[in-house]
Amino acid sequence: MTDRRIERLAALLVGYSLELREGKVLRIDSLDEGSPLVLAVYGAALRAGALPYTNVSLSGLGETLFQYGSDEQLTYLSPIQWEEVEQLDALVTIWSETNTRAFSRVDPTRHAAYIAAQRKLSNRRWERISSGEMSWCGTLYPTNAHAQEAEMSLAEYEDFVYAACHVHENDPAAHWRAVSSQLKARAAELGGVRELRILGPDTDLRVGVEGRSWLAADGRYNLPDGEVFTSPLETETEGEIRYTFPAVYHGREVEDVRLRFEGGRVVEAEAARGDDYLQSLLEMDAGARVLGEVAFGLNYEIDRFTRNILFDEKIGGTMHLALGSGFPQSGGQNTSGLHWDMICDLRREGEVHADGELIWKDGRFLADPALEVVESRVHG
Amino acid sequence: MSSDRVLRLADVLVGYSTRVREGDLVCIDTDPPAAPLVRELWRRILEVGGHPHLRLDVEGAPEVLLREGTDEQMSWVSPVRRAEVEQADVRIAVYADVNTRANSGVDPERQARLERAHDPIRRIHFSRVASGDLRYVVTLYPTQAAAQDADMSLSDYEDFVFRAGLLDRDDPRAEWEALGRAYGLLADRLGRHAEIRVVGDGTDLTFGVEGRTWVASDGRENFPDGEVFTGPVETSVDGTISFSYPSSHAGRRVSGVQLEFRGGEVVRAEAEEGEAFLREMLALDAGARRAGEFAFGLNEALTEFTGHTLFDEKIGGTVHLALGASYPETGGQVQSALHWDLVCDLRNGGEAYADGELIYRDGRFLDAVV
Repeated sequence: MTDRRIERLAALLVGYSLELREGKVLRIDSLDEGSPLVLAVYGAALRAGALPYTNVSLSGLGETLFQYGSDEQLTYLSPIQWEEVEQLDALVTIWSETNTRAFSRVDPTRHAAYIAAQRKLSNRRWERISSGEMSWCGTLYPTNAHAQEAEMSLAEYEDFVYAACHVHENDPAAHWRAVSSQLKARAAELGGVRELRILGPDTDLRVGVEGRSWLAADGRYNLPDGEVFTSPLETETEGEIRYTFPAVYHGREVEDVRLRFEGGRVVEAEAARGDDYLQSLLEMDAGARVLGEVAFGLNYEIDRFTRNILFDEKIGGTMHLALGSGFPQSGGQNTSGLHWDMICDLRREGEVHADGELIWKDGRFLADPALEVVESRVHG
Repeated sequence: MSSDRVLRLADVLVGYSTRVREGDLVCIDTDPPAAPLVRELWRRILEVGGHPHLRLDVEGAPEVLLREGTDEQMSWVSPVRRAEVEQADVRIAVYADVNTRANSGVDPERQARLERAHDPIRRIHFSRVASGDLRYVVTLYPTQAAAQDADMSLSDYEDFVFRAGLLDRDDPRAEWEALGRAYGLLADRLGRHAEIRVVGDGTDLTFGVEGRTWVASDGRENFPDGEVFTGPVETSVDGTISFSYPSSHAGRRVSGVQLEFRGGEVVRAEAEEGEAFLREMLALDAGARRAGEFAFGLNEALTEFTGHTLFDEKIGGTVHLALGASYPETGGQVQSALHWDLVCDLRNGGEAYADGELIYRDGRFLDAVV
């Protein structure tokens, strides 16, 4: 029998995240394992009058490319791909791995060469997304591989994923519309803050955010979603932070990361495990030692670490501060090849002060945002 | 299929059928059950310097479109489909159905509309193949659905498919090359004649082939293979032909088909099963009522009917006629969104005449070239 949650997730993607209209061309990207959701999205898009088609791949092909491909084959982009990127009005990416560690033994320089080539395509795609020519949303179809990373059974993991997307109940779009106005109100309030001070175990960090825009991540680009984020002032980060969750970059984990910032730059860094990797990433380029993002995770359906950034960065009650590239749409100016989200759990003993005023304690904002102010601003 | 069999099949498809070279863009077009073959093709294509590209259908998606699509959605072809057919140097299509009858309940008129929508793509494909710009092969990866149609277990069916491709021989490529030479001689011989007449149980059909080319099909465009084919002179087809085997086309089955031609066009069409669908296909467009292809099946490793045209039309001792589009390389002129092969068994008392002379009886050429 069809899992109703898959149907609801598909309808949410098509109707709310992408707002697909008649005649719009949608491509659905997935591995074969995600087929049930692919099919549901395909049907929902047809019913919305759109022109959907599927782009489904098989696990194992990527590894084969790394194993047998020449440098030229590894970095090849076909004319078909270039033509496609210009023609799409919307794109859904469904992550549905069969083995999250399949690339563990791939030569890192070959992996980097492949990613650099693919980035030419994705840069063009992001240009079109930023200018509003196309929409994009990334989501996940639960597989055993993802469940295994999360240390859950597949059935438990399905419950976790679908609750995080809020498709376990009827009318998830209404939920996300409400979340959207709350997050926007919160972002508007944070927009008036000059400096955040984050206090927690081995953590006392001051982050300057004056003049930067806070943005609400409300289910348009990711499902699940639920955060507010900005790019901090590049030279105004001071103090220490200890990341309680393992920091994962390209599948490799670094545990118990501690950083000390002076004048916006990391001046001391250590990790209990994976320290070499941490140091090498900090040396990637000049921007790698500077924060590109500070964000509050506000999805309280996500209550645990599952080794997947799509979920982890939104855990309700956490903050994440990413080293590396910032967001131009927030006013961020840091550029780097790195964007490494590291998550700090503030649910047990954490405080955040905004310009000296306590606004967050033990994983919650103390006051609800002034919704009506923003509503009137939006509609008025 | 066991991995060594998959490997042998991939090796022949890449190395012999499509001769993939460095820099070739190679599109693989198939369904998820063929995944083991796709992975092996991927490796072989990379090894010879090609760029593999995958187009994988999602089970159930075509059915949703057929059932729920609007006119606009049904007549839309994704830009990537066109790009693939226009840009590829090589296409490898692999049948791997999970259910060969999934479309049995669909309105045949809607199926016809969908086929018409893909006609422009099909034309580009045919003309690029004919001009040699595009190398193309179609094959089959054994699935339970295909085995079920053949009344076989999957493992028996795998044996059958493997042997039909001569993949059990020491050097399959050499075998196919040798057969290709023999088929070529037969094609040359047939090319000297102006008129062919085929006679069998419920069949007496005459058509002209003057000026047309007979093509020897030797495992390069179909795999397995074994036929010589041409495009009859369009207005010359007269008489009746009865097809011995049921045929599955576009996910539904038709059996007991008899067609009567006058002046090149079907004037009477009957089927014991699926007649409404047959009529809808004949009404698809102007070319759908014409015989775009006629061929002799020559593969002696194929002896029994298994319900899939790719194999049935090559059974040694059969002929087949296709309703719809001709292959341009034969000189055939029929344009249609349809190309539907129907097979007629001539092994029991069937005969063929060339310019009035008996050349073929009980499924064999008299002056055996092959």
